[in-house]
Amino acid sequence: MSVEWYLVLSALLFSIGAGGVLVRRNPLVILLCIELMLNAGNLALVAFARAHGNQDGQIFALIVMVVAACEVAVGLGLIVAIFRRRLPIDVDELRELQG
Amino acid sequence: MSLETFGWLVLLCPLAGTLLIAFTSQVLPSKAHGYLGTVAIALSFASAIGALLALQDLGDEERQVVTVAWDYASTVGVDAQLSLLLDPLAVFMSLVVSGVSTLIHLYAVAYMASDRGYTRFFAYLNFFVFSMLLLVLAGNFFFLIVGWAFVGAASYLLISFWYRRTTATAAGIKAFVINVVGDVGLVLGTYFLFKHTGSLDFLRAFEGAGELGRNDGDLVAGCLLLLVGAFAKSAQVPLHTWLPDAMEGPTPVSALIHAATMVTAGVYLIARMHPFFEQAPIAADVGAIIGCLTLVVAATIALVVTDLKRVIAYSTMSQIGYMVMGVSSGAYVAGLFHLMTHAFFKALLFMAAGSVIAAMAGNQNLDRMGGFRKAMPFTFGCMAIGGLALAGVPPFAGFFSKDEILAYVAAREDWHVVLAVLGFAGSFLTAVYTWRMIFRAFFGPPVEPARELEHGHLHHAPEHTNPASGEVEDTDVGFPGPDHHIAERSWSMKVAMGLLAVGAVVGGFLQIPKVSHVLESFLEPSFAESRYFEELHPSDGLTYAGLAIGALLAVGGIALAYALWVKDADRRRVSTLRARLAGVHAFFARKWYFDELIDAVVVRPFAWFGRFARDVFERAVVNGVFVGGPSVAVRAGSAAVRAVQSGFLRYYAALLLLGVTALSLYFLLSAS
Repeated sequence: MSVEWYLVLSALLFSIGAGGVLVRRNPLVILLCIELMLNAGNLALVAFARAHGNQDGQIFALIVMVVAACEVAVGLGLIVAIFRRRLPIDVDELRELQG
Repeated sequence: MSLETFGWLVLLCPLAGTLLIAFTSQVLPSKAHGYLGTVAIALSFASAIGALLALQDLGDEERQVVTVAWDYASTVGVDAQLSLLLDPLAVFMSLVVSGVSTLIHLYAVAYMASDRGYTRFFAYLNFFVFSMLLLVLAGNFFFLIVGWAFVGAASYLLISFWYRRTTATAAGIKAFVINVVGDVGLVLGTYFLFKHTGSLDFLRAFEGAGELGRNDGDLVAGCLLLLVGAFAKSAQVPLHTWLPDAMEGPTPVSALIHAATMVTAGVYLIARMHPFFEQAPIAADVGAIIGCLTLVVAATIALVVTDLKRVIAYSTMSQIGYMVMGVSSGAYVAGLFHLMTHAFFKALLFMAAGSVIAAMAGNQNLDRMGGFRKAMPFTFGCMAIGGLALAGVPPFAGFFSKDEILAYVAAREDWHVVLAVLGFAGSFLTAVYTWRMIFRAFFGPPVEPARELEHGHLHHAPEHTNPASGEVEDTDVGFPGPDHHIAERSWSMKVAMGLLAVGAVVGGFLQIPKVSHVLESFLEPSFAESRYFEELHPSDGLTYAGLAIGALLAVGGIALAYALWVKDADRRRVSTLRARLAGVHAFFARKWYFDELIDAVVVRPFAWFGRFARDVFERAVVNGVFVGGPSVAVRAGSAAVRAVQSGFLRYYAALLLLGVTALSLYFLLSAS
């Protein structure tokens, strides 16, 4: 199977994730979408690694997973903090950081 | 001890006195500080005598000793050392300064006794003497400038000593500002001279002076700038207006700073810089002419002033005019001789005036005085001796010194003769105004304070007022003390005035033409290479004619004053004279409109320029363009950037995606 299929799948997953980030207002769902985008990237990396016949892309994918885990930890922490302060769980309402 | 040690001791004693008084101000009783200050200056005087003796032990050729404490800065071409030049001129000046200062300190011990600022007064006074000695002993331009500026600062502190008196603080500021003009002149002049001689050290610079051409442009500029410094410090036209105002200070200050020592610094400077001035005769001529102008201007003003101390102040200006004219015309010894005798009799006159003012409970107006002769015999005696010496009646000190200056100036034989004639006219006026002052204060019917004093009661004013403006004052610190002290009731004032009176009588015997030439032979090593010192000597006929004319003019002037102010008891002749010459009187009484002139020429343009700079430059250019321009730009820029920060997370995400997509497309397209 050629590498294009994997790349098309990866692009579709990435687009779904990006679209989710843009249209959804729930931070939890946005986090999930970001995860989707990261894993689309992982898929592409692994596919390239296999196409090239070496392990560099796979190692990179592992590192991306670590980053993703960190990101989820911080993101979920933020969401819990927002929830505890009884703020709206809606990214459009959370806009104090404006100029 | 060696000459060097004595030289340093002369300088260190007053400095130690200043510091001791300042640091023990809370420890010792204030009375002790007066004596402490006096002893410090007396020790300085004793060291000066020691230096004199040590100097006389040296051979004629060796009497210019430079002693260096340390190198202050010694870099490429600049040799600023803490060095003293001990030569006959410096030793002579330090003797006069420390000697007269000792007596004035002694006088002030009693005179200032009831003043709340007693300790501060003596600390300032010691500091002044230290600065003045630094000025006269300095061995290079660097320390000359330091001493010069210190003296100006000390003068400011002492003029404004009664710092709650508005007139006194204004006078202090005026004196300081004009003195700073002089400082600038001195520093720039030093620069011009340094540029050509390549050394700040006096002796090396003087050697360099010989190599410059006569009337070399830079040399003349340097000398003229030095003259600006000398004129400001010595109250010569047109930088003289501070001196009469400086009479706001306590009387011992007037006696010390504004008669005997500081104002003669300009004379010393010209005498010290004579190698330069002889190479730049144009500058020396300017000095001689200004000196002559000053002596005439000041003498005419002194004729009409009614403030006792200001009469003496103008006479000081006038006498310094003689000295400046003398030293600028090459009559160095005569000028310095007059400096010495003038220090004696002018300090004496101020002290006597202080005693009279004390008897008047602080009032200085001659119109209110009269008939103090019987009430204050000692003061009158001293005033009369001082007056005779100032007028130049033989055989008092002023007679020999003033006539020596005039004879030497006349001996130049060119246009200097005109100056000498004006000088003789000035000496007639001197006799008239001096004795006008004495006759008005001591003769005629006794005024109320004089009558009280005859019955043994010292006059007390019902309330203390400022003699200049009439403002009511208290007697706390910053104002004169409650009690006044007259010479008749204080031994220290009597001793000080008595010794100065002796000096005013016998001081002239040091230099009697054809009889003695003590000063001339003593000062010879300092002026050894001078052109005029060897060659310029008045002929015998000129000398005797000068002495005769001087004596006649002095006696005539006193006789005229007697006829106008004593014989004519109603002073009717004076009033008719004044009515007939109303214009001239007003001109003199307004001090030749010098204050108005300076106000119009300097003060107003500068004030206008200041306002212009504030309104136009500061507000429009600096505030508007330099400060306003960037701030408007930053504001606009940040407003634009701020608008992007909407706070919508999804908006940022969209921007990010768009940006990344655009970049990727760009690279993909450009790669293919």
